[in-house]
Amino acid sequence: MALTLYVAAPTPLHRLHPVTKLGLLAAFVVAAFMVDRPLLLVPLAAVIAVLMVLARALPNVRRLRVMFLLVFFFTLVVWTFFYQSVLVPTYGGFLYGLSTAIRLDTFLATGILFLSTTRVEEVAYALGRLGLPYTMGFTLTLAFRLVPVFFDAALSVVQAQRCRGLEFGRGGVVARLRRFVPVIVPVLIGALRRADRMAMALELRGFNSGRPRTTYLRARAGAADVLAGTLAVATVATYVVLWAAGIGTLAAHP
Amino acid sequence: MTRATAGVASAVTVRDLGCTYAGATRPALDGLTCELPAGGLAVVMGATGAGKSTLARCLTRLVPCFLPADLRGEIRLLGQPIDGARVGALAGTIGMVFQDFEAQLFSTDVTQEIVFGLEHTGVAPDQIPERVTRALAAVGLAGFEGRDPTTLSGGEKQRLAIAGLLALRPPIMVLDEPTTDLDPTGRAEVFDVLGRLRAEGLSLVLIEHDTAAAAAADLLVLLRDGRIAASGAPARLLADVDACLAAGVRPPDVCRVFAMLGLVEPPLDVTAAAERLRARGLVPRVSDEPVSRPAAGSAIIEMRGLGHRYPDGRRALADVSLSIGRGEFIALVGPNGSGKTTLAKHLNGLLAPTEGRVTLEGRDVAGLPLETLAQRVGYVFQDPDHQLFAATVAEEVAFGPQNVGLPAAEVEARVAEALAAVELRERDADPFLLDKGARQRLAVAAILALRPDVLVLDEPTTGLDFREQERMLDLLDRLHAAGRTVIIITHTPWVIAEHARRVVLLKGGRIRYDGPLRPFFADEGLAAEAAFRPPEVTRLGRLLGCTPLSVAELVAWIGRGA
Repeated sequence: MALTLYVAAPTPLHRLHPVTKLGLLAAFVVAAFMVDRPLLLVPLAAVIAVLMVLARALPNVRRLRVMFLLVFFFTLVVWTFFYQSVLVPTYGGFLYGLSTAIRLDTFLATGILFLSTTRVEEVAYALGRLGLPYTMGFTLTLAFRLVPVFFDAALSVVQAQRCRGLEFGRGGVVARLRRFVPVIVPVLIGALRRADRMAMALELRGFNSGRPRTTYLRARAGAADVLAGTLAVATVATYVVLWAAGIGTLAAHP
Repeated sequence: MTRATAGVASAVTVRDLGCTYAGATRPALDGLTCELPAGGLAVVMGATGAGKSTLARCLTRLVPCFLPADLRGEIRLLGQPIDGARVGALAGTIGMVFQDFEAQLFSTDVTQEIVFGLEHTGVAPDQIPERVTRALAAVGLAGFEGRDPTTLSGGEKQRLAIAGLLALRPPIMVLDEPTTDLDPTGRAEVFDVLGRLRAEGLSLVLIEHDTAAAAAADLLVLLRDGRIAASGAPARLLADVDACLAAGVRPPDVCRVFAMLGLVEPPLDVTAAAERLRARGLVPRVSDEPVSRPAAGSAIIEMRGLGHRYPDGRRALADVSLSIGRGEFIALVGPNGSGKTTLAKHLNGLLAPTEGRVTLEGRDVAGLPLETLAQRVGYVFQDPDHQLFAATVAEEVAFGPQNVGLPAAEVEARVAEALAAVELRERDADPFLLDKGARQRLAVAAILALRPDVLVLDEPTTGLDFREQERMLDLLDRLHAAGRTVIIITHTPWVIAEHARRVVLLKGGRIRYDGPLRPFFADEGLAAEAAFRPPEVTRLGRLLGCTPLSVAELVAWIGRGA
C-alpha cells in the first residue's frame, strides 16, 4: 500500500530548492484566493497542469481522479443551488460555484504537484531553513513515514474483528460509533507500543548523541530557482493587482 | 570497513550485573558475569522473561536511560566502563537492532535512512555519501538508494535498519531477535549479513530462539530467570538436552537423537552426525512408513478455480482448487508473497474471489452472512495485539459470542469453555498485561468461543519461546483430536513435520504441492521452493535413507533395527 505521492524522477522541478517549491506552492494558493472569476482562474490551473506534466506527476492525478471529480461537481452543484437562494439554481451561484470548483481543484493539484516533486525530508529541511525548529520538521517526516504503517495495522484490526462477528454497517449512529472501539483500541495501543520502541531506536541511531548535528541535504539554489521565484512573485503580484483593481470579483448577477 | 577493535582483547565485559526494573519485586538480571572477546559472536538464549532483552538493553544503556531500573555491577565495552553514558553517545560504540523493523525506520527514502544517524552524530557532510554507499553495500542493499522503505520486503527493511547503525561504525552490534518476524528468505538474508560482519571483525551479541544460529557462536549463554544457567562452547551446551529444555530452549534434533541413543558429544552438523551413526552401525533398518493419504471426512470447504486479483491489478492467486476435509490438519506453506494469507482469507469471506468460488458445505461463502461465517470458520490473526481491546480477559472472549447475538447464559458458558480450552485462568486480568504466549492463547480463545468447525491460524507460534510454542501446538493437537479442522500458516519446518497431516505449498499464487508430509520433505527441490530446509531430524534421516518426521520416529526406527 503506497500512500506517498513522491515521484522519483530527475525533472527540473524536482531539482528546485525545497524552499523555492514551498514558495511556489504558497504563491499559487494565494493567487487563487485573489480572484473569483472562472476565466481568471483558468490560467493558474493551466500552469499547474503543464508543470504536472513536466514533473511526470500525471499518474498521481489519475490515482486521485475521483477526488478531483467529486470536489469539482459537489462544489459546483452546492453553490449553484445555495449561493443566493435555497434549492433554486442561479446563474450567479453557478459562476461562483465554477470558480470555487476550479480553485479547489487547483489547490488539490498544487498540493499533489508539491508532494510529487518534494520528499518529506526536503519539506522538513525547507521548514527548517524558514526558521521552524528541527523537531517540528522531523515530526512531520515521521508522520509521513508512519501513516502507511498505521493504515495497514488498522486494516488488519478491522478484519480481525470482523472474524469475531463485528458488523460495522448495522444499527444507529451511536451503535456504529461504539463498534469502532474494538478497532481504535488495538490500533492506538499498537501505535503507543511502537512509538516506545521507535524512541529507543532513535536514540540508538544517535539522536541526542550530544554532538552537533550536521545537515547532509544541502540544496543549492540555482538559475532555475531564480526563474521559479520570479514566476512565483510575478504570479502573486499580477493576481493581487487584479484583486485590488476589482477585476477579479464577479459582477453582480441578480 | 576496518573496525577499531585491534588492541582490545574484550569487546564486552559484564561483571556481576544485576537489574531490577522500577516497581518490580524480582530482579530481571541477577549476578551476570560474562565476557565476549573482540571479534566474537555470542548467542544468548532462554525463555521469555529470562532476561535476554534486559541484558541487551543494559549493554546499550536503554536501561536505565529509557526504562528506569536499579543497576548493579559493571559493564565495559572495549574496556571502557559505560555507566553514566547516554544512549545516543554510545551510537558509535555499540549498535542495537530489534525485532520490530518498522519501528527502526524513520525516513521515506533509503538514502535518508542511512543519513539520519550520520547527521545526528555529527559526521561531516562531505563524508556522508561514501558512508551511505558502504553501509548499503555491507547489507547487500547497493542500488536501493532513493527507494521508499515501505516498498521493501521484511528482510530488506531489517537489513536497512542494520545499515543505518553500521554507518555509524560501531565495533559492537547487539541483535535482539532480528529475524523473528521474517520469512525463511528474510532470515537467510539477515544471517548472511551477520556472517559478513563477523568476517569483517565486528563483535556480535545475538539473541535468538533457534539453536541453528547458535552452532557457529564463540560463546553461548543460556539465561534462566535472570541468571546464567550455563555458558560456554555451543557444542557442549547444546549437547545437554535436559539443560536446554530447562532453560526453555529447543535443543537441536541431532543432540536429541544422540542423547536418546546414549551417545555423547554430538556434532552440530547433520552430515557429521550421519557419519557417526553409520560408523556405529546405528542406521534405521525400517524404510519409511507407507505413504497413505490420511483418511479425511467429507469435504467441508471446497475451492474451485479460485483466483484473486488485488484492486491494483496484481494477481495474488490463480486457479487454486482445494478440497478441505472435515477433521484435517493442514499446513499452508510458501515464501512470503506466495499467496498463503490471501488464500486463507478466502476461507471465511474476508476476501472475495475474483474468479472461481469457495463453498462451505456446498454453500457459496460469498452468500453467507457474517455471523454464520464467524461461527463456522474461525480465523486467528498473526498478531494477537491486532484484536485485543477489552478491559478483562473474560470480556475479550465474550465479544464474539455477543456479536452473533447469543443469550447471556450461553455467552458465559462459551467464555468458560474457551478459557478452559486454552488454559487461561486469569479471567479478570487485563489482556494487555499478559505475556505474548498468553495473549496468543487468548486470541485463540476469543475465536474458539464462537465454536467454529474450522480453525485457521496465521503463524500461531511466531514470536513465542519454545515452551509457549509447545503449549500452543498442544492446544491445536487437542482441538484437532476433538474433531476440528485446523489450518495453519507457518514457516517453521518442525511445526509442520510434528503436527500437520497434509501440506499445501503455494508458489506465485498457485498450488505447487498438495499432499502428505513425507514425500514433501523427501523432495529437496520442493523444500527449496518453499524457501526452507526440512527439519534437522528429517535431513539426518535422509542421509541415512529414510524420511523421519520427528526425533522419536528416527530413534524408534534405529532402535527397531538394532
